[in-house]
Amino acid sequence: MNSAYKKEIRYTLGFSVLLLICGHLGLLFVAFPSLQNHMIFGFPSQYIVPVVFGWIVLMVVVAFQAKFTNAVDDEIEEINAAAENVK
Amino acid sequence: MEAQKWVLESPTIGMIFVGASFIIFYAIGWYSQKAAKSSTDYWTAGRSIGSITNGLGMASSYMSLATFMGVTALILKLKVPFVYMWIQFALSIPLITLWYGTPLRRMGAFTPAHFVRERYGLRTSYITVAFMILVMVMYALGQMIGVAKVFEMLFGINYTLALICGGALIVGYVTIGGMYGTSYNAAFQMILMGIAFIIPLGAIMKAMGGTGWWFPPLFYSDMVPAMLDAVPDFFDMKYGFKWYLSLIPCFTLGAMGLPHLGMRVYTASNLKSARGAMVWFTFFCGIVFCSTYTMGFSGVYFQATSGSTIAPTDLDKITLILNSVYNPAWVLAFVIAGAIAAGLSTISANLMAIGAMIAQDIIATIKPDLSDKTMKLIGYAAIAGGGAASILIALNPPNFLVVSILWAFGLAGVTVAPLVILGVWWKPANRYGASVAVLVSGLTYIAVSPYLFPDIVIAGGGLPDKVGMSGALLCVPLCFFLHVTISMITDRIPSMMAKIPYKQDKLLVDKIHGWTDYSEERYNSTGAGIIIAAVSLFFCIYAVLPGGW
Repeated sequence: MNSAYKKEIRYTLGFSVLLLICGHLGLLFVAFPSLQNHMIFGFPSQYIVPVVFGWIVLMVVVAFQAKFTNAVDDEIEEINAAAENVK
Repeated sequence: MEAQKWVLESPTIGMIFVGASFIIFYAIGWYSQKAAKSSTDYWTAGRSIGSITNGLGMASSYMSLATFMGVTALILKLKVPFVYMWIQFALSIPLITLWYGTPLRRMGAFTPAHFVRERYGLRTSYITVAFMILVMVMYALGQMIGVAKVFEMLFGINYTLALICGGALIVGYVTIGGMYGTSYNAAFQMILMGIAFIIPLGAIMKAMGGTGWWFPPLFYSDMVPAMLDAVPDFFDMKYGFKWYLSLIPCFTLGAMGLPHLGMRVYTASNLKSARGAMVWFTFFCGIVFCSTYTMGFSGVYFQATSGSTIAPTDLDKITLILNSVYNPAWVLAFVIAGAIAAGLSTISANLMAIGAMIAQDIIATIKPDLSDKTMKLIGYAAIAGGGAASILIALNPPNFLVVSILWAFGLAGVTVAPLVILGVWWKPANRYGASVAVLVSGLTYIAVSPYLFPDIVIAGGGLPDKVGMSGALLCVPLCFFLHVTISMITDRIPSMMAKIPYKQDKLLVDKIHGWTDYSEERYNSTGAGIIIAAVSLFFCIYAVLPGGW
């Protein structure tokens, strides 16, 4: 099985996990209550960390997602072109 | 303390702003539709929308009237847990793009139901379309009722007249513009609502004494100590692990199943542009979402520190109330125009989805030989008809249709997302598994909601049941489990497989991922199927275990 296919699967699963982490940090704070009520930038940790991850960090993750998944598409197109040339 | 009932003091400026904005919406719709040369152009905007416009449009389709009204009311009521509920909505477009948006764009789909038809056949697609139209009608209905109430307040007319006039104006510009008009209008509406929400919020914060007024989305920590003194439980997490976990199947996967969001990806000029749009979406969505939390925070802060009590019926007007207290009348008028733009952008996207499903997924499959000109006329009729139906239902809406827009998210998560995800990524997923899974899990989701059978609920009949969180925690994994197990079983019964074109279905999977050659090994793991079934079964059992909410 070729590397582009493996990359496609790996990136899809990997970025899904990262996206879910960015959007669902509330789960972390409810699972580990000791993480709550530490003041960060003047806000309680259980509030500001999910808010920042849900926007700023998410944007960074999504930018990398676009970059890497575009690269996989290019790789698939190269493989397709190579296969056409062989024919 | 007696609650004060809020009334709009000077509606004239509001009428001028709203009237002017409608003129612009119609002008954009009229100008844009000239580019639609065929019915495909009408539904997909010629697949020509650039990444920034598309990113604005994606965010705009998501920023409903709730951004200005419902969300702030729910923050006032639920406080921080509602913020967690809202944050994860920003994952929708990135997840849609990652899991099925680009493959369906590559396929040339009009709606996710189009893919379901190609992958699982007509019968399954009709079941899915029925659920999707129900979801879209519930979604559009909530917006239509909300816009009518704003019109009622603004023009001082009764609800019925406000609904018919407002509804007709909305349906008119969507029908005229098609997806071209909807896309460019949505981009304009996003800019309008963003400015109308954030800049006046800065002025409100400044008037309240906040030093971070120059960047409202994040800089209000100096108000936190006063908030903690006045409302000590504002930042409490309140609910259990199951409550927060159920946000994933109900709202994250639910949003992935909403056809009007998926359709935004199909309008992109190419796949790279679609992915670029997703980055812009995250930026625009994040800045407005964060400002919404600030507005909700300011509302709670205002109520706790000013000595004013807002009437329970006015909780959803907190954005308007704060603006009327701290900003001049023309700013309030601009905010009202922004709120209506937010409602309109969502209704437009809903109507486009309803119209596309009626025209492309029902009529075009029954009568596949219709000419392009006829299909274009059917497109106009489908949108106008869908809009007219929404207006008529909103005149006297049945209780079960206005229960909650959030409940509709869960239904989309149960009936659409698993089918599309497995259909795109797992070749053994077949028509038998899909049709049984969508029917059983969809009906179970409806049955365990407190609206039909109040005694059959999972979380005791409280908020998680009302908004569909408990139902989705059970039924989304149930749909995955049934789909995978039935597909794996029927895959081993040659007489059943002989009745369906499974080889053609498998070819489609490779094709939509961009492969020009076919490989049996790709997207065909039995181990993956077993893992999905086992994990899904675990979550089904976990969902019905008592406690944890």
